[in-house]
Amino acid sequence: MQNEAEVIQELGKIPWFQAIKPEHLKKIAEISHLKRIKSGEVLFREGDQDDYLYIVIKGRVALDIFIPHRGKVRINTAEPWDLFGWSGVTPNLHQRTAGATAVVDGLLVGIDAAKLRDACEADHDLGYVVMRRLVNIVASRLLVTRLQLIDMFASPEEKNAK
Amino acid sequence: MIATNTATQLVTPQAEILLNPQWAEITNITPEADGISTYWLRFRDSLEQQEFRFEPGQFNMLYLPGFGEAAISISSDPEDHEKLGHTIRFVGNVTRAVSRLKVGDVVGLRGPFGTYWPMKAMEGKDVFIACGGIGLPPLRPAIYHIIRNREKYGKVTLLYGARTSGDLMFPHEYDVWRKAGIDVEVTVDRSDANWNGRVGVVPMWFYQFRIDPRKTAVLTCGPEVMIRFVIFEAMARRISAESVYVSLERNMKCGQGSCGHCQMGPYFICKDGPVFRFDELQSFFNVEEF
Amino acid sequence: MPNEHLPEIGSTITIQKPAFNSILARLKEYGYLSIGPRVKNESLVYESIESLDDLPQGYSTEQKPGHYRLIREKHSRYFDIIPGAHSWKQFLFPSRVELFELYKNGNGWETATQRVETPSYAFIGVRACELAAIQIQDNIFMRSDFTDPIYRARRTRVFIIAVNCTHPSETCFCTSLGTGPRVKEEFDISLTELDDVFVLTIGSEVAKRILTGIPFEDASGYILTNVEHKLTHAEQQMRRKLDTTDLPELILNHLDDPYWNEIGKRCLSCANCTQVCPTCFCWDTSDEMSLDGNATKRTRVWDSCFNPGYSHQAGGNTRPTIYSRYRQWLSHKLGTWKQQYGTLGCVGCGRCITWCPAEIDITAEIVTLRNEVKR
Repeated sequence: MQNEAEVIQELGKIPWFQAIKPEHLKKIAEISHLKRIKSGEVLFREGDQDDYLYIVIKGRVALDIFIPHRGKVRINTAEPWDLFGWSGVTPNLHQRTAGATAVVDGLLVGIDAAKLRDACEADHDLGYVVMRRLVNIVASRLLVTRLQLIDMFASPEEKNAK
Repeated sequence: MIATNTATQLVTPQAEILLNPQWAEITNITPEADGISTYWLRFRDSLEQQEFRFEPGQFNMLYLPGFGEAAISISSDPEDHEKLGHTIRFVGNVTRAVSRLKVGDVVGLRGPFGTYWPMKAMEGKDVFIACGGIGLPPLRPAIYHIIRNREKYGKVTLLYGARTSGDLMFPHEYDVWRKAGIDVEVTVDRSDANWNGRVGVVPMWFYQFRIDPRKTAVLTCGPEVMIRFVIFEAMARRISAESVYVSLERNMKCGQGSCGHCQMGPYFICKDGPVFRFDELQSFFNVEEF
Repeated sequence: MPNEHLPEIGSTITIQKPAFNSILARLKEYGYLSIGPRVKNESLVYESIESLDDLPQGYSTEQKPGHYRLIREKHSRYFDIIPGAHSWKQFLFPSRVELFELYKNGNGWETATQRVETPSYAFIGVRACELAAIQIQDNIFMRSDFTDPIYRARRTRVFIIAVNCTHPSETCFCTSLGTGPRVKEEFDISLTELDDVFVLTIGSEVAKRILTGIPFEDASGYILTNVEHKLTHAEQQMRRKLDTTDLPELILNHLDDPYWNEIGKRCLSCANCTQVCPTCFCWDTSDEMSLDGNATKRTRVWDSCFNPGYSHQAGGNTRPTIYSRYRQWLSHKLGTWKQQYGTLGCVGCGRCITWCPAEIDITAEIVTLRNEVKR
């Protein structure tokens, strides 16, 4: 467990965390830790039951899905200030839907998702703030995924062939 | 004896021929990506070549006798008077025929046509260039201009994306541009084994940049879907429609606002565009199939 | 008493009808190719004429949406007919014209020197709406930033005998656009036909020269009143109207309205309207290469925004459906044209109504759109 003050310091650089109440930030920091990662390090795999939510402070983490015969397909990257592993905070889905691998050396803040769920139950104000943030993240991810689906750079022949 | 009832203007014989092309020779061909190459052209008439001037964002009509013409943005440095770069994606009849040409072959060239990126109006401002795919070539002359006049501009960012890493245009220049003081950030829609960079579409990365809406001009070019979402992101950050410039593409035949093909609402994309300030398009930009 | 000297520009005279043949003969002497209305295949076309005998004497026309008939009447007037599918634009802006011919020379191409015969046309029988259409096309083809040399060469040589309509047809609505039925300006001679004489107003120096030696009389007060009476009567006869007070906003502010889907279901995208319309100006080019690849001919042809391939480009077709193409045509003609060229693109000639196989009437469609958006 890292020093809480260090966590607060790192989180405090992120605009969203600057906007929440100091007591909420403290509650989150209490259940978080700083994690250094090395290039190539696997944080978790699809199907894992581990329960941490991550925020990238420095570096880049790739999210991938394993497809038989194709191997790991990188579907997204998380950059500084991005939040990933959020499925742990949603009420029902507690299993990793994608794997996460560090692309370069970096620094993350890991938040204990089980403790975060409890904290949100106990303090609905905190719960509302956290869920609202999550909805924004998921909505934006959905939009991005849709744009990736449209395949806007495809040439006309490819589009017609489909 | 033929009577005329209004005065005729004195014109040179060449001007009597509609769409008369100038002839240019291919001096070099640079393959850029799958299905895309840059053709370097030099007018056969050396005086014509020396005197040709274009602004960043303008295009030429490239003519291949027997096949027709295609509108191609000029993608080279406006200060290079020795040759003109035309980055061509081989998608239609004309461009596919061009793909079979070799160095030394001659093509017709008419131009330059169209409106251009507002390099002067942007002086003193931050410039945020968000583009994708084959949208980078029409912006490259603007980047060269900025580099040449770096002190006239504030923070300059290039956010560029393509489908895969193999589709990225001009990757060998990114570091050169970074050294010249441009923040170059790249992303791909889909990753492959060789790529360790960002994965995700261009509009999704806006939040990573500190953009001051009061003094940032946004330049965008690429697939229209991408342009729409870039504009969405820009306006969500309170950048005014008057500070966003887009380059559009439509079927062009004459390049001179006469044949009607490239019309979008009241505008002829070849004459009133291809570069538009977004507020000029706002009222009908999102009308389906307009 | 026939007058000895030439009539002044702006003056109105009368000539006996047979004297018109002398005018045609004089035009031919001067090198003009006279084009006028002729009956052909039970319709009216614009082709070369030599004498009054070639004109559609004793005819009138019956026009409705999708309907055109030549009717044999008991009168013997020459200009009672209303124009058919042909308009004058085919002469100034030919439907097919060669731009240049190239031949291969080593690695490159050279333009073959061409002898271009630019005809000097004399348009006989130009209606006020058609004159307005020519002026609209002048704005398109001869501008400060771009001039079409083909159009200009023909336009600067043209001699115009305009005709005041005294019997508009049922599809005419020129009064709504302020383009007729009265011919106002930019003609060499304007003509009103009475039963026994032609009343001519002289519009140019060339007209004066053409009339040299042709017996005429100064138009009497009685004649002028008669002409005035006929023109007023013609104006009142025009029952079809197009309310333009809310154009172009009515269309441009309602591009998303479901109305367009409805009209799209009726339109066949046959492009008739764009071909008969005297102001439509879209064109395309095509290249023809010889079999041995050593020569290429570049041709300009008419095109139409209704053609499916019109808006085809690298990413696909921007207007794949009929409704979007119909909207493009109407929103251009009665909408964006104003911003582009300063006036609406329609002159109220009614051809698009007469020649539409789906019987689409733009004057009725505008009313429908107006009612749709009010809901």
